[in-house]
Amino acid sequence: MSKDTLLEISGLTLRPAREALLTDFSLTVERGTLHAIVGPNGAGKTTLLSAVLGLIPFDGRIVAHWTGRGRMAYVPQQFQIDRTLPVTVTDFLALSRQHFPVCLGVTSATRTRISLLLERVGLGGIETRTLSVLSGGELRRVLLANALDPLPELLILDEPGGGLDADAARWLDETLVSLKGQMTVLMVSHDSEQVRRIADRVTHLRATDAHRFGGQAREHPTNPTNQTNFTNRRTHEP
Amino acid sequence: MSDLFDYPFLVRGFISVILLAPLLGGISHLVVARRMAFFSAALGQAAITGVCVGLLLGEPLNAPYGGMFGFCLLSTLAMVYAKRRSKLPPDTLIGVFLALTLGLGLCLLVAVTRQFNVHQVEAILFGSLLTVTDADLVLLVIAAIGLVVLLFRHYNDLLLDSLSTPLATVRGINSAYLEYGFAIVLTIAILVSLKVIGALLVEALIVVPAAAARNVATGTRSYLLWSVLVAFVAGAGGLLISTRLLVPTGGAVVLALSLIFFLTLAIGSLRRSA
Repeated sequence: MSKDTLLEISGLTLRPAREALLTDFSLTVERGTLHAIVGPNGAGKTTLLSAVLGLIPFDGRIVAHWTGRGRMAYVPQQFQIDRTLPVTVTDFLALSRQHFPVCLGVTSATRTRISLLLERVGLGGIETRTLSVLSGGELRRVLLANALDPLPELLILDEPGGGLDADAARWLDETLVSLKGQMTVLMVSHDSEQVRRIADRVTHLRATDAHRFGGQAREHPTNPTNQTNFTNRRTHEP
Repeated sequence: MSDLFDYPFLVRGFISVILLAPLLGGISHLVVARRMAFFSAALGQAAITGVCVGLLLGEPLNAPYGGMFGFCLLSTLAMVYAKRRSKLPPDTLIGVFLALTLGLGLCLLVAVTRQFNVHQVEAILFGSLLTVTDADLVLLVIAAIGLVVLLFRHYNDLLLDSLSTPLATVRGINSAYLEYGFAIVLTIAILVSLKVIGALLVEALIVVPAAAARNVATGTRSYLLWSVLVAFVAGAGGLLISTRLLVPTGGAVVLALSLIFFLTLAIGSLRRSA
């Protein structure tokens, strides 16, 4: 493993059903890069992200070598909320930014922080709107705003360009490019044009396996003082 | 209204309504957000079975808490465990548990009626202020304090987990801990409400306040306030109806709740069209 490696996946096998979706899969994500995972439907892209996020069990080894903030953030592909649930954008963003129960009120400090955050993603003024009335593109920006504060060391995005119009897609590209160097970005995308424009490295998943191109698979001993092992699932060390 | 307070049991009833409104109204909006309405119905049915188990084991008729709490807790843990392990939809799994506990409850009810008059058991099924004791009020206070503490500590995590479990997990929130913890708190809230509302109708006071609040709420804060207000007005109104018309408290409270729900539905529609 290089000292520039943030995420190291080796011997990973995923079995969301009886048959394995990924078998003995390996991947190295370099620090500060934008690494894209592409592939056809059913290849296991989102399932792979779920394993990295700790949402599903797996066989194999996933290790993150944190050096700084040690924080992972996630922008999901789907965020289906009950259309009648009266949760405003401020309520939603405040949930992760204050300990005081949001149902009893949002503190003025949190409101200021949320306003700045929304300005950053070009959504100033939508604080009091409920999540259910936002368009797909607006909701995606709110989720991105939620992921960027506090700044994560690893940002994981699942189909970030899905459902965006041309202007919003351009804005997203510029935002993701501007994040390079501040954090490592791992994203799943169907949009080959977007991947070509902004990704530093690309991993292509086929329907039954993974074929890697665009990067070097370098293996070095891990530094146990700076790594997070994903311990809440089955792992086996070589 | 003043003669309402001439009778100790009515005073106890009114105090229990004052305590139940924030308890059930407060928990109501989280139950609906976490899609646990059917779970509440199943717990109400499990309480009937629990009462039968308690009575058959020799518990007194006016305080069959041991059997009720034990059986409901067991049912709660089993339902949450099965829901987390199975790939079946939650409502299908809960339906299986509901059928199981109801079937068992009916069989045990026959055995219970050999020892007790069925009218004595009716109070548990439909709710009766006559059976509320000072000890029940103490239990209600403890449950209400417990709920406030839980909400203060975990409300934001619970709501985020309701909106998106992956987002909550990435934030370091333990979804399993929250799900089991909230289910246990809900079980306790239902059990301490049974004497007033009754096992068959307690689900209504868990679900309808939040449903009514959704019609008019504009944010999370007003959602909570409306839920509590609706639960309180329906509780107090139901109590009055119950004492004036001599009908079961649970039925009267649910009628008042339903009336308020349709009222808020109309207000919500008017507001949207304005």
